[in-house]
Amino acid sequence: MAPAQLQQVNLSPAELSYLRSTLSQTPPIRLDHTKGPRDFRSMRAEYDVLPGANGSARIALEDGLEALVGVKAEVERSQWRPTPEERDARLSVAAGDIDMKDEDDEDDNKGKGQNAWVEMSVEIAGFRDDDSLPVFLASMLTESLLASGELKDRLYINSRFHWKLYVDILLISPALSYPLALLSMTTHLALLTSRLPALKSERDEDPLFDDDWDASVPLYPKSKGKAAAGSPVDKPPVIVLAMAVGSNVIFDPCKEELAVADAVLAIACANSQSSPNGTRIVSIRTIDPPSHLTPPGVPNSMNSATGGVVPTSGADALTQRELLANSGVWTPPRGGMKRGLVGQVVKMVVEKGGVAEEVIDALQAIEVG
Amino acid sequence: MEYFSLKRSSDLNKGQTNLSSKVYVRSTKSGKVQKIVRELYLRRDIPCSSNLCRACLEIAPTDYSKKVAPFVLSDTPAGSKNFPNGQYLVPDTNAFLTGMDLFEVETAFHDVIILQTVLEEVKNRSLPLYHRLIALTKNEGKRFYVFFNEFRQETYVARQVGETINDRNDRAVRTAVQWYNQHITDAVRARSKKQQRVPTVVMITDDRDNLRKAKADSIPALSLSDFVSGLENAEELLDMISAAQERREVRSTKAEVFYPEYFTMSKMMTGVKNSTMHQGIFNVSPYNYLEGSVHVPAFDKSLLVLGRENSNRAISGDVVVVEVLPKDQWKAPSTKIIEEETLNKNDNAEAEDGENVVSERERRALQDEVKRVHGQSAEGRPQPTARVVGIIKRNWRQYVGHIDRDSVRSSSKSSRQQQVVFLIPMDKRIPKIRIRTRQAGELLGQRVLANIDSWDRDSRYPVGHFIRSLGELESKGAETEALLLEWDVQYRPFPKTVLDCLPAEGHDWKVPASLDDSGWIGRKDLRDLLVCSVDPPGCVDIDDALHARKLPNGNFEVGVHIADVSHFVKPNNAMDKEASQRGTTVYLVDKRIDMLPMLLGTDLCSLKPYVERYAFSVIWEVTPDADIVTANFTKSVIRSREAFSYEQAQIRIDDSAQQDDLTNGMRTLMMLSKKLRQKRYDAGALNLASPEVKVQTESETSDPVDVQTKKLLDTNSLVEEFMLLANISVAGKNYEAFPQTALLRRHAAPPKTNFEELANQLKVKKGLELRVDSSKALADSLDKCLDAQDPFFNTLVRIMATRCMMSAEYFCSGTQAYPEFRHYGLASEIYTHFTSPIRRYADLEAHRQLAAAIDYEQLDPSLHSKAKLEGVCKNINVRHRNAQMAGRSSVEYYVGQALKGKDITEEGFVMKIFSNGFVVFVPRFGIESLIRLRDLSTPEPEAEFDAENYVLRVKGEVKRDIELFEKVSVRITDQIEESTGKRKVKLTLV
Repeated sequence: MAPAQLQQVNLSPAELSYLRSTLSQTPPIRLDHTKGPRDFRSMRAEYDVLPGANGSARIALEDGLEALVGVKAEVERSQWRPTPEERDARLSVAAGDIDMKDEDDEDDNKGKGQNAWVEMSVEIAGFRDDDSLPVFLASMLTESLLASGELKDRLYINSRFHWKLYVDILLISPALSYPLALLSMTTHLALLTSRLPALKSERDEDPLFDDDWDASVPLYPKSKGKAAAGSPVDKPPVIVLAMAVGSNVIFDPCKEELAVADAVLAIACANSQSSPNGTRIVSIRTIDPPSHLTPPGVPNSMNSATGGVVPTSGADALTQRELLANSGVWTPPRGGMKRGLVGQVVKMVVEKGGVAEEVIDALQAIEVG
Repeated sequence: MEYFSLKRSSDLNKGQTNLSSKVYVRSTKSGKVQKIVRELYLRRDIPCSSNLCRACLEIAPTDYSKKVAPFVLSDTPAGSKNFPNGQYLVPDTNAFLTGMDLFEVETAFHDVIILQTVLEEVKNRSLPLYHRLIALTKNEGKRFYVFFNEFRQETYVARQVGETINDRNDRAVRTAVQWYNQHITDAVRARSKKQQRVPTVVMITDDRDNLRKAKADSIPALSLSDFVSGLENAEELLDMISAAQERREVRSTKAEVFYPEYFTMSKMMTGVKNSTMHQGIFNVSPYNYLEGSVHVPAFDKSLLVLGRENSNRAISGDVVVVEVLPKDQWKAPSTKIIEEETLNKNDNAEAEDGENVVSERERRALQDEVKRVHGQSAEGRPQPTARVVGIIKRNWRQYVGHIDRDSVRSSSKSSRQQQVVFLIPMDKRIPKIRIRTRQAGELLGQRVLANIDSWDRDSRYPVGHFIRSLGELESKGAETEALLLEWDVQYRPFPKTVLDCLPAEGHDWKVPASLDDSGWIGRKDLRDLLVCSVDPPGCVDIDDALHARKLPNGNFEVGVHIADVSHFVKPNNAMDKEASQRGTTVYLVDKRIDMLPMLLGTDLCSLKPYVERYAFSVIWEVTPDADIVTANFTKSVIRSREAFSYEQAQIRIDDSAQQDDLTNGMRTLMMLSKKLRQKRYDAGALNLASPEVKVQTESETSDPVDVQTKKLLDTNSLVEEFMLLANISVAGKNYEAFPQTALLRRHAAPPKTNFEELANQLKVKKGLELRVDSSKALADSLDKCLDAQDPFFNTLVRIMATRCMMSAEYFCSGTQAYPEFRHYGLASEIYTHFTSPIRRYADLEAHRQLAAAIDYEQLDPSLHSKAKLEGVCKNINVRHRNAQMAGRSSVEYYVGQALKGKDITEEGFVMKIFSNGFVVFVPRFGIESLIRLRDLSTPEPEAEFDAENYVLRVKGEVKRDIELFEKVSVRITDQIEESTGKRKVKLTLV
C-alpha cells in the first residue's frame, strides 16, 4: 500500500538520477550534506502539553513537520471471559470442539489484556479519516504497540474492569514528508509520560482510585534499581524508517530522498528485557516507496528528437530500459530488497548502540532531563 | 529554529504569577475516572477583614451597590496570658474536627479566621461539622471570618514535589498566619505611629509536627488544649474537646482489638452492587440491646444482627453494610428482654484490660436464645441473620443521658482530676458512652448532653465528650429540654431576621377596610357567612372554621375556611426558611413549640371569633346525601361568629331550643359529616386507635393533677370529616395543576408480613381471623374482633394493628406513580395536608400551590423544582415523626409525674410476651410497661415459655399463667428508673 496522496515530489528525472547517484556513493552524500546516513533530522520535543490528558507529547521536526499526541484513559467494564481452565472445563462436555478456537483468539488470549483496549486514531490535515494514509499509519502504529503484549496487560485492572486507552495522534502540519517515524516517536514520548490514577481498591472490587494526581502511577513503570534510576523497565516501541539505495542504508529519509529509494523498511523496536542493552524488533514492514511513481527519464537513444529510435512496442521499451539501467538515465526502481541488505538494516537498528537504542534513549532523556 | 511551547503554565512563564492550577482525579458516580485540571486565578484584592486595616478597605471588592462587605474581625480582640495584645485565632482542620463544640461556646472564641484551606478540608471530612461551621460564620456576635487564602496571591502555596496534600495544607495555614501577622502589623503601623497594641494572629493546631515547624519559622502557634487552658472555666471547656484524637495517641501501642475491621469502601460498594452484601439502616430493638435489625430491599423481613461482635460498632441509626450469615446461624427474633444495665453493671470505665467484646453474661443470654430457636411457631421460625461489615454513614447525633454513678471514682465536687466515666443515654438503643471529664462530681445527678466521637476496634464502648449539662435530673426544665434535644426539636427563640419578616403593624394589623386595597385583589368577601370554628378547649391557633347553608335547589353549600398563612409567610424569606426547618409545631403537655412566631400563629392568622381575617376557603355544593356537586377554591375574608370547644358545640347542637341559623348550620354539618363518614368506611377506611390520654395540669404551676383518656365526641369527627374532605379536594386540584410537583401525602399499604404475627396471635388465642388483603377487608375483620366480656379488647387489637402499619409520608407527586399515591388508612386515592398551615409546613406549601393553581398568584420557583420539594418532604417527614415522639415522651413524663407517690390498682392487658417478662398496657393512663419475671418475686421464679400458644407459665410460689390479651390487675407505683434516671411508672402484678 503506497502512501498515495502524499505530496508529490517535483523533481525531474535528471534531478532524481543525480540524487540517487549521490546517495549511492560511499559514503553517501545526503540532501542535507551535513548529515550522515544514520543521522536523524533535528527535532524539538516536549511532553505534558495537554493538561487534561493522561499523557501527551509534541514533536516538531526541522523541516516543519509537527505532531501532537494525547493519551486518554477511561475505566471500562470488561466482558466476562472464562479463564483457560474454565473454558476447558466447559468444552470438555463437547469434546473435540477444541480445535475450533481460531488463531486470532488464541493470540489474544496470551495475557490478561485484549487488543481492543487500545484505540488509536490518526488525523492528518487535509485527509479524511478513512483515507488510506491515516488508516495505514494507524494500523502500523497500533500493530507495533500491541505486538509486544505488555501494554495491554498493563491496562488490566481486575477481572471486571480495565483501562481503555485512547491514543489520539494529530499531525498538525501539512504532510510534508512521510510522517510515520515522527508519529511513532511522538506516541512513544506521550505513552512514556502517561500516568494512570492510583488504584486503591483490591482485587475484583469496583475500582476506586486515589484522588491525588501526584499519587498516580506511570503507565510504563520506572525501575527502582540504582543503575537505571528513573528509566522505565519497559518502554513503548518506536518505529524507525530506513531506506536502501543501492547498497547504502539511510535512516530517517526526507521526502526527496524517499523519492529515489530502492526500498523502504519500517522497523518497530522496543527495548529488550533480557539484556539491559540493545533492542528487539517487534515488527517489521516494507513500505512501497514513492519512487515507483516518479516519471522515468527518456534516454537519447529512445528519443527521436535527439536522433534516437522510439521503441515500437511496450515490451521493446522495457528491454531497452533494462539495458540502460546503470547509464544514469532515471528509471523508477522496481522494488525488492536483497536478504542480506535486510539483515544489515536490522543489525544496524538492533545492535548495541544501534539506531533504535539511540532513539529510545534520546526520547527517554527528554523525560528525565 | 523558532520554537513555541504549547504549555500554558510551564516554567517558562514564571513571571505570570496570578495563574496557577491544581490537578486531581475525580471519580464520578457512573464509574468514570477523570483527571481534572483547575486553573486558579490569584488575586490581591481579598481583604483581611480586620477593622484595624484601612488598606484592605480600599481594595476590597464591592457589591452592586458599591459597598464593601462589612469587616468582621474586631479592632480590639480579646487577649490572653500569652498574647496580651489581643489575638486573632486561625484554627487548623483538626482543631475544628475535635473542638467544634468549643468554638460554638458563646463566651469564648471570638475573632476567628477560617482559612479556605481549612474550610474545604472540614467539608471533605465531615459535612455536619461543615454546616455548623458555616452557621458560626453567620453568627455576627462570634466574628468568624472566612479568608480565601487559596485565591490570594501572597498566601497561595504551590504543592512541592513529593509533598503530601496534608503537608501542603499545613504549610498553607502557616503561610497564611505568617502573612496575616505581617499584614496586621503593617496595618497598625500605617494607622498611627504611636499605637503599640498589635494583635497576634495565632495558629491553633494539635499536630505536633506543625507546631514544631511553626516554632522554627517563629509563627505564633498553640495546641487547642493549651489555648483553652488559658481561658476562664477551662475545665468545662476542656471536657468539650473531642476524645477521638487524644485517644489515638495514647492507645496506639495497644494491640488488643475487640471488633473486626471494616471492609474498604470499594469492597462494600462492589458487594452491594453484586448483592452479596446489603445496605440498610441499623436499628436496635428497644427490648434487647444486643439485637439489631437491618431492613434491606432484598429480603421481606429485616435481617437480624445479633450480639455485639456482629453489630460491630454500629449504632442505631447508622447506615451500614451487612453480610448475611450462613443458614445454620439463622435465628429467631428474641423473645427475651435483655437490658444493658442489668448485664454490664460492673464494667469499669477507666480500665480496658480484660474486657471482652462479648462479656460472659452476654454470651449466656444469647445462648438461651439459641436453645429456643427450634420452636416451630411462625413467630419462632429462624430468620436470616447478618453481620455488619462496614459503615456507609454514621448518623451520630447529640445524646442526652446521665452519668453512671458506679463508674465515677471520686465524686468529690472539688476534685478537678480527670476521670473516665460512663454516660448512659436516655435512648436505650444507644450503648453507654465513655467520657473523659474533670467535673464528674458535679455532673452526677444531672441531665447531660454528649457527643460520640469515635468507636475504635480496641474499645468496647464508644468514646465521646461532654457538651453541656441541662440541669438536674427530674426537674421539669431539664427533662423538657432533654426530650426536645432527643427528638431534635428546634426550640430556641426565633432569631431577629425571622421576626423582621412579620408585618410592621404587629397586633394592630387588620384586614384593610377599603375594598380597593391590594390585599383584597382576588379575594372574595365572605364576611356575611355564618362561620364558626370548633377546636379543643383553650386552643389559640385556630386553623380552620366551617359554615353550611341550604341552597334554593335543595342542596347544601358547605365551606371550610383555613387561615391564610401564605399571605403572611412569603416563600424564601427568613421566616419561611425557619418554618421549613422546623416543619411543624410541637405540642408538649405544658408547652407548645411554634413553627411560626406567636404574632402570626395566635393572632394574625388565627381565625379568631368576631374579627375579620384572611382565609383560604374551599366551598362545595353537596347534595343532601353528601355527594359532592362542585368544589370551589378561593382566597377570602371571613368573620367567624363563634369559637366553640368540642363540648360546647356538642351541647349547642343537642339543645333543641337553639334554632338560630348558626346552630342549624352546625346541625347540617353534623348530618353531612355522618354520611361522609359512612361513605369513607364503606370504601374501606380504617378506624384505628392509638392510646391517647390527656394530662390535666394545674393552671399556675402546670403540675400534672390527673390523667384521663381523651373523650371523643361527635363534633370531633364533624370537624375531622370536613378537614379530610378539604384535603382530598385540594390534593386533586393541586395534582391536576402540577402533576410533577404537587406536594401530597401517602400512606403505603403495609406488606402482609407485618400482620403475620398479630394474625397468628389472634387465631391462636381468640380463634379470630384477621384478613389483610385490602384495607376494606382489614377494616371489616377488625370490626369482628370482639370479645363479649371485654369491650376494650377491640380497641386493643386496633392499637396493635396500627403498629403493624407503615407510617404516612409526604412526597412530591413526580416521584411516584399514581397508584402509589393512595392513602391506605383513609382509603383515598389522593391526599394532602391543607388544613393546618399554622402548625404544619406541608400545609403552607399546599396553600401556595393551590393559590397558583387558581391563578391567584405566581408559583414560587422553589415549588416547581422536584429536587427542592423532595428535600422539603424529607425534612418534614422526619420533623413530623419527631414531633409526635416528643409529644408522646412528654405525656409519658407527665403521666409519671401525675402518678408520683400514688399507689393505684388498675386493669391492664397483656400485649406482648417474652420468655422472661411481658408487656402490660393500662388503658386508663395509656401506659405500656414491662413486667419482668424478677419483678414478680425474688428470687426470680422459674418459668416456661410456650411461644406457640403465647403463654408464660410462671412456676414457684407465684404459680400463674400469663396469656396474651389476658386482662390483669396491676398495681401502679412510681419509681425512678435506674438506666435513664427518669421517673417511670412501675407496674406489678396483683
